[in-house]
This record gives sequence, structure tokens and C-alpha cells, in this order.
Amino acid sequence: MTTTGTHLRRRGVAAVIAATAAVALAACSGFVNSDDGEEGDGTGSGTVSAYVNTEQSAGLAPLLEGFESETGLTLDVSSANTDELNQQLRVQLTSGTAADLIRVSPGYSSPVAVGVLGQEGELADLSDAAWADDLTPDTASLADVDGSVMAFPVSRNAIVMAYNREVFEQAGVEVPTTWSELLAACETLAAAGVTPIAAPFQGGIYFQFWVYAMASTLVYPVDPEIDERMRAGETTFVDSAEWNAAFARIAELNDAGHFSDGMLGIPPDQGLQAVATGDAAMVLMVSAGLPQLYGYSDAGEEGFGVFAVPASDDAGATHVPLAPDFLAVNAAASNPDGARQLLDHLAQPENVEAYANAMGVLPGLGVEVTLESTVLDPIMPLLDEGRTTGYANYLWPNGDVQQTMLQSGQEWLDGSITTEELLGQMDAEYAKGTP
Amino acid sequence: MRVPYLFVVPALLAYGAVVLYPTVAGGYYAFTDWAGRRVAPSVVGLDNFVELLGAPAARAALRNTLVIAASTTVVQTVVGLALALALHSSLRSRHLLRTLFFAPALLPPVIVGFLWQYILTPGGPLNGALAAVGLSSLQQNWLGDASIALASVIGVIVWQNAGLTMVIYLAGLQGVPVELLEAAEIDGANRWQRLRRVTVPLLIPATTIAMSLTLIGSLKLFDQVYVMTGGGPGYATETLSVVMYKEAFVSGRYGYAAAIALVLTMIVFAFALLQLRGLRRFQVDA
Repeated sequence: MTTTGTHLRRRGVAAVIAATAAVALAACSGFVNSDDGEEGDGTGSGTVSAYVNTEQSAGLAPLLEGFESETGLTLDVSSANTDELNQQLRVQLTSGTAADLIRVSPGYSSPVAVGVLGQEGELADLSDAAWADDLTPDTASLADVDGSVMAFPVSRNAIVMAYNREVFEQAGVEVPTTWSELLAACETLAAAGVTPIAAPFQGGIYFQFWVYAMASTLVYPVDPEIDERMRAGETTFVDSAEWNAAFARIAELNDAGHFSDGMLGIPPDQGLQAVATGDAAMVLMVSAGLPQLYGYSDAGEEGFGVFAVPASDDAGATHVPLAPDFLAVNAAASNPDGARQLLDHLAQPENVEAYANAMGVLPGLGVEVTLESTVLDPIMPLLDEGRTTGYANYLWPNGDVQQTMLQSGQEWLDGSITTEELLGQMDAEYAKGTP
Repeated sequence: MRVPYLFVVPALLAYGAVVLYPTVAGGYYAFTDWAGRRVAPSVVGLDNFVELLGAPAARAALRNTLVIAASTTVVQTVVGLALALALHSSLRSRHLLRTLFFAPALLPPVIVGFLWQYILTPGGPLNGALAAVGLSSLQQNWLGDASIALASVIGVIVWQNAGLTMVIYLAGLQGVPVELLEAAEIDGANRWQRLRRVTVPLLIPATTIAMSLTLIGSLKLFDQVYVMTGGGPGYATETLSVVMYKEAFVSGRYGYAAAIALVLTMIVFAFALLQLRGLRRFQVDA
């Protein structure tokens, strides 16, 4: 009897474990039926949750108080740095725990980019928003997924060459407007004992700015349809004369020794410090990073200037790469109407202006604003003339093309692989398409 | 004796949900193309493993991982043993020195990575110190030169963990009977012979622990590499753990990353087993 009783108890325990485990496993499952998405309450009231990057969080904070008092909505904003956010957002979307309003990357540049998430049905269609008409051309193409607007640009960043005014003056160097002038300036600066161009290429982040800047002038204005043709298999990086020309420019600077010695071992902050202290004359960087550069120098903002880096000998052909900083509405948002209301609020010209001035960035929308800072004045004529392009990687079909460029690009810089091999590796990743 | 099964159920459930289920699920995903989306992935058989074996970056990562594991295991064991033998003495400053040598092991690996990334930059303190003592010819681009970056990373890992190995050996040395050493000395054994024939054989259990911990830790090395070099320059310091992380969280290829994790798990298991069995042969009783 005892044996039978134990056996029964064992079977009972096993059944409890099995049943509980089954429930636990079901609860743990990350997959949901596509019909299971939560419906929004459609009331435009309640709480709106947002998951943004740290820069957006700082810029949005002053604008959110007024929104809450005007609408009666409560905002629940979380933030993280962009890398961390990108890594967490994919998991949050998969598990159904993502916020109503989310920060997304432009184009197809990461697994949480507008193009990738839009095609998966993870983002709401915002085409009917009033601000959609105010998108600038460089931004509109990156916010578009199959003809629908799926992202709102909070701001835009430009890739600019920042230079130390005192170093330029002491060396007698004028701001270069053509490629030949840039080379001449580098030679003069080198002769004066200064590193012409700080190249903090450890990790590859600052290296990619050079690729995008050269492509902005040498690739896209010359062949605006190149991404479409590459996707169609009609051309490749290797076969493109324009892309070869863009990398040839970087190689020319590298071969001439105009980049920092030991560039692959220099982290970004030390590259900026070199320019701030005058050990190096200039650095190619994103405009959002300028306050960090100023912070390294007693001269502050006054000690530095910026210019659009030329890539050809036609000064009028120089273009500036621009990058929008996007927000999008989660297709499974608990409060989609509230999230849209918040975007409408941010799209008001006074709020676009307030955000741009608070963060020292370019306005996200093409509306009339007055910028307090004059730092970016040298590139504003290019923006007014439409001489801008998105960062090249945004329309590449997946993030691995960029990753390959960053890593293999380091091997290319130290001469381990040729330009053809580098471009061939990028082509191999490009050919894999959008996952 | 009656076993109180019902008392075990909550712990078993927690273990199953937190450890067993993710482990089994991870094993399953290794055979799928899961991209982290809310749709069920397709089973792709061994495709992920075939890609892993064929990808130059993954092969470089596997090679680097094995080089790091072998180097750190040997060097750290030797350095840790040397420190332990030097400080298992009547030296008056031994307690202070033990604390100093062990201190790096208490630092978070990420902090160590950031510190050494700064120290090893071309214009950093190490090159500055070399110049200050007239050794400018030894200055290097420690983390930016592909030919020495891996060695630099290994040096940092040994610097951080040699103190831990030293502590394990110090504990082992407490168990070496003094009378055995005295008997060997009376029999005419010199200092080296006593170390070689008496001390080291009796330290095999400590060696087993120290080498196992070092081997397993270095095979799954991630923090210091990711912080100091990100796997670069190029692919010079890429490890399997770093590739796995990038594939999952940067590229969104969770299925492929799970395949890397499975391979890494098997490698760790195989090496740990081989090492334990190998060292057991040399074990002797005091």
C-alpha cells in the first residue's frame, strides 16, 4: 500500500509539475498570433508611454509639461542611450511590452529601423498627420515605408568638419571649400607640426562619417538612383565608380599621413580632446557631438568653427549628410491616439524651434524657425539649397553592411585588405537583403 | 526515508523556468532562423552551423578564443603560482602585497576594460611612462595594431585575474605538510627539487580549480574585449562571445547567435572535462 501510495503521490506531483510548467512555458512564449495585438482605447486620454534615447529625453522634457496640462494625458517616459535602446527595443516589440511611442533608427540601418519595423507591421501609419507635409526631402525618404509615413523627425544631425580656429589662424590656413584646398590645408598644418585631421577610428564610428561625407558629394548627387539599382542587382559597391571614388578620397588622406598616428587605437573622446587642445586641427563628426568638443576647451564654442567637408574641386557640388532622429508609434500601442497627439504637439513650429535650440541641433521639420546658435551657419546655405543627403547606410538593406564596413574598414585602413576586397565584403552583406 | 517532494516542487519550477526552459529553448533556436520577431521562426537544420564554420569572421573569433584561453590559462597559472610561492613566506609585507595583487580581481571587468583602454591608447600613460624612462623604442599602438592587440588583451586579463589564482594557490600551500618538505630537505633535496617533487604535486587540486576557472572564464570572455577593442582592429580580437552578442543584439540574428552559443557551450564543456580528467592523473595524496 505504501508503495502504491508513493507512486500515486509521485504521479500527482509529476502532473502538478507538468501542468505548471506548461502554463509557465506558455507564459514565457515570445510568439503571439498576429491577431492578438492590443487595440488602442481610441480615446486620446490616459497614459502615453514613450521609450526614447537620452538626447531626445533631455530635449523633450521641457516640452512635455505643457502637453500634459493641455491634454490631461499622463506621460511615462523611459530613456536609454541609443545602442542600449536599439538592443532592448527589438525584444520589447517581440514580447509585446514596447512603449506607445518609440525611438527608431532611420531607413534600414538596424533591426529596429523604420524600414525594417514598418515592413513587419510593427509601426503605425502616420501619413494623415498634418506635419507629414513638413518633412524635408532628405528625411521623407527615410520615414517612408511603401508609400506611408511611419516616423516623425524630432531633429536632424549633420556630419560636419569641426576645426580649432586658433590652430587654423596660427598656421595661416583658410577654411577649405574644395578637395584640393583641403589637401593643401592638411599639408600646411602638417608642416606646422599639427596633426591635420584627428582620426579616432577605434571602433569605426568616426571612420563611417568619412564614408558618408564622401558619398554625400561623390555618390548620391551623381547617381541618385544608385540604391534602387543596387537593390535590383544592376550594380554593386565594387562596380560603382562613384563608390570607388569615395573610398579613394579617404585612402588619399590616409596615404598622405593626414590622419592621426595610431588612429585605430584612438577612442573618440581622445580624438576630440586632440582638436580641443590644438594637437590636431580638425575632426569630422556629427553636429550633435559639438557640445562635447566645446567642453574639452576653455575657449568653449567660440574656439571652434565648422564647415562642410569638400570631396571634389567644385565647391558648389559639396553636399552635407543629414540624419533624422526619429520617433514612431508602436502599431500595438495601448494609447495610439495619445501618442499621435504628442507627435502633433512636438510638430508645432514653436516646439520644433525650442527642441532645436535646447539641443543645438537642426530642426526636424522644414518649418520656419529661428536658431539661437550660429555654430551651424556655415552649412545652412547648403541646407537651403537642398544640398543634403541621408547617411549612406540608411538605405542599405540591413545593418550588417554597415557593420562589415566598420570592421573590415579598419583592416582596409591598415592596409590588410584592398578597396576591392572591402567593397566586395560589403556587397556580400548587401546581397543578403532585408531580413 | 520519505522524500518531501512537494517541498521541492517550487524550487524545481523556478529552476525549470529560469534555467532549463531558456537552455532548451536556446538550443532549439540554434536550428532556426529566428530574427527576434513575433512570428514563429523556420527550422533551418544545420544551416547556422555551416555558416559559422564558413564565415571568416567566426573562424577568426574561434581561433582568437582558443588562443586567449590557452594563453591565459598557462600564463595566469604560472604567474599566480609564482606570486603565491613568493608570498607564502615570512616576508613582513606579505599581507599588504597579497591584498595589492588580489585587488584587481575585485574590480568589475567593464571598469578594468575602460581603464586599460585609456592606459593603452597611443598617447596614454603606458607609452608616456616608457618614454619617461628612455624606452621610447618600446612604445606601441597597443590596442590599435592588429599584430599585438590580442596580446594586449591577454595581458590585461592576466593582470586582473592572476591575483585570484594566487589566492587559490595560497590556500593550497596551507595544505602542504611542513614535515614532508623537511624530510625532503634532510634527504638532500635542494629548493628546486622540493618545489618540483613535493610542493607542485601536492598543489594539483589547487591547480585543477585554478586552471578550470581560468579556462572557462577565458573561453567565454566578453566584457574586457568588448569594452577595450570591440573585437577590433578589424577582427583581430574578436571572440565567440563578442560575435554572439553582435549577431544577436546588433544584427538581430538570434538564431545564428544561439548556434554560436551552443558551439561555445560544447567547447567549454569539452575542454573543462578534458582538463579535469587530465589533471586528475597527476593528483597525489599528502
